[in-house]
Amino acid sequence: MIELIDITKKFGEILAVDSVSLKIREGEMLGLVGPNGSGKSTLLRMLLGISRPTSGRLLVKNEQLTERGWKELRRSIGYMPERVSFYDNLTGRETYSLFARVKGGDPRSATEILKKVGLENAADRKVGGYSKGMRQRLNLAQALSNDPTLLVLDEPSSGLDPVGTREFYGIIDDIRTRKKLTVILSSHILAEIEDRIDRVAVMKNGSLKAMGSLEELYTSLNLPLKITLSVNGTGAAIAEVLRTAGAVDVVYKNDRIDADIPRMDKIKILSALMERKEGVKDLSIREPNLEEVFFGVH
Amino acid sequence: MFTDAVRAIARKELSDKLKSRWVIVIGTGFAAFTLVISYFGGATSGVAGFREMDATIASLTSLVTYFIPILALTLGGGIIADEHDRGTLDIFLAAPITPAEFIAGKFLGLALALSIALAAGLGVSGIVLMIHSGMKAVLSYGLFMLNSAMLGFIFLSVSFLVSVLFRERAKVIAFTVFLWLFFSVLYDLGLIGLLIVTKGSIGNGVFSAFLTLNPVDVYRVLNFLSIGELKVFLGLVSVELPVYMKAPALWAVSLAWMLLPLVLSYRFFKKRYLA
Repeated sequence: MIELIDITKKFGEILAVDSVSLKIREGEMLGLVGPNGSGKSTLLRMLLGISRPTSGRLLVKNEQLTERGWKELRRSIGYMPERVSFYDNLTGRETYSLFARVKGGDPRSATEILKKVGLENAADRKVGGYSKGMRQRLNLAQALSNDPTLLVLDEPSSGLDPVGTREFYGIIDDIRTRKKLTVILSSHILAEIEDRIDRVAVMKNGSLKAMGSLEELYTSLNLPLKITLSVNGTGAAIAEVLRTAGAVDVVYKNDRIDADIPRMDKIKILSALMERKEGVKDLSIREPNLEEVFFGVH
Repeated sequence: MFTDAVRAIARKELSDKLKSRWVIVIGTGFAAFTLVISYFGGATSGVAGFREMDATIASLTSLVTYFIPILALTLGGGIIADEHDRGTLDIFLAAPITPAEFIAGKFLGLALALSIALAAGLGVSGIVLMIHSGMKAVLSYGLFMLNSAMLGFIFLSVSFLVSVLFRERAKVIAFTVFLWLFFSVLYDLGLIGLLIVTKGSIGNGVFSAFLTLNPVDVYRVLNFLSIGELKVFLGLVSVELPVYMKAPALWAVSLAWMLLPLVLSYRFFKKRYLA
């Protein structure tokens, strides 16, 4: 378990990370979300021991690490930085072998891991001819080259198309079914990770704004549910019914109504709608997604 | 110190330079230059053809003092900035290796690439000269090659410091050119100017100490010591070197010149990238 206690990082006068405290549990998939410049990458660098906190403590299994301790810990960490172009003159296999050796992994696992990430047919081609997506797959391969127990992924789907993104997370899921793997996943594409993570840490302007499972966040933040209605000509009247019953941010456009429903008013609002059901063609209610949670955090 | 990681990084650097044909291009170009200079080095006195080994070494020394520093400086000048731009630097920093291992691996790999290019470049001339003059001067040519390699390592080491100090490629190139100009040309002009201004009163001891502050001059002096009689070719005819300025002392100075920038690179690297 890794614990950050009141971690602050300053670069001169710039406060990059401001008094962040959080615990990373073994085996969990923790999402670290926030817009660009929110301090995610700086926090990741401190978690990897690359950057030292200006103040605060970072504990691994309740101990503060020495330089030697960090070196030892890094043997079990796989890190996938956001944007890596690698070396054009080396093949995928040579690149993998280089990082496997540097990280204390087994270079002979190249065939197996490159196959796992879908690069088996390109393993002996020069990286200079790889697409962005292929380089990102190679990036994942190098991160896995030391058989890590902690995987740190910084904006991993950057450069991947939707199919590639799905395959990427499929690989991670596959590994997690076979071994206990802690994953820290940073992203600003929130919708992409919300179905995959166990807990989320929301960062904004260097501060940790919220932390917990999505369910905990939804409950603690008391965010309104999202309702969408398809209506048939009486939309203005139905929108008024919604407003009267307590719905907020009601928008009526092209026979469609979108509104937020405070949780405490949901039965009242649904009852009111039932009384005007002849005007409603279809209805859906959903929880706000992580993006809405994120932008709801101030 | 020669851990798996150091060897892996060194192998990557060497392999990169071999695959990019850097070694072949430099080695071939250098071989052509050295052969031309070996053959036409005495042309100013109206003679063309391969001369005695010592005379050839004197001619080649002038080539090496211009060629190797710029070669080594450009070889390593962007080494850290490149890793940073590629995004691979963070992978190394997050790996279970120390900054010293990272720098050592990079240095060893590039030093090997440089050595192969130099061995090819100078070796071809050496073989031709030995065929022409026999084996009697093989030792002085061997020493000349070693001295040249050391000069390369020194400037490679300096280039690492430049690479750590400057992140932008444009700054690296500008500073590299400045360093080359300073050590290969301006420094000696300054020394000559000092001699003129002081009317030669600064003394050989002080002058010699100034020579050791420039690795190019240390290299010249090392070659001068090995060829003795032909010091006129090196422009040092008027200087009597102090007794302590023998090859071992100069090799020690060269070693210090190689290690100091590397140590500073390590310190600045830690400060800049691991703060």
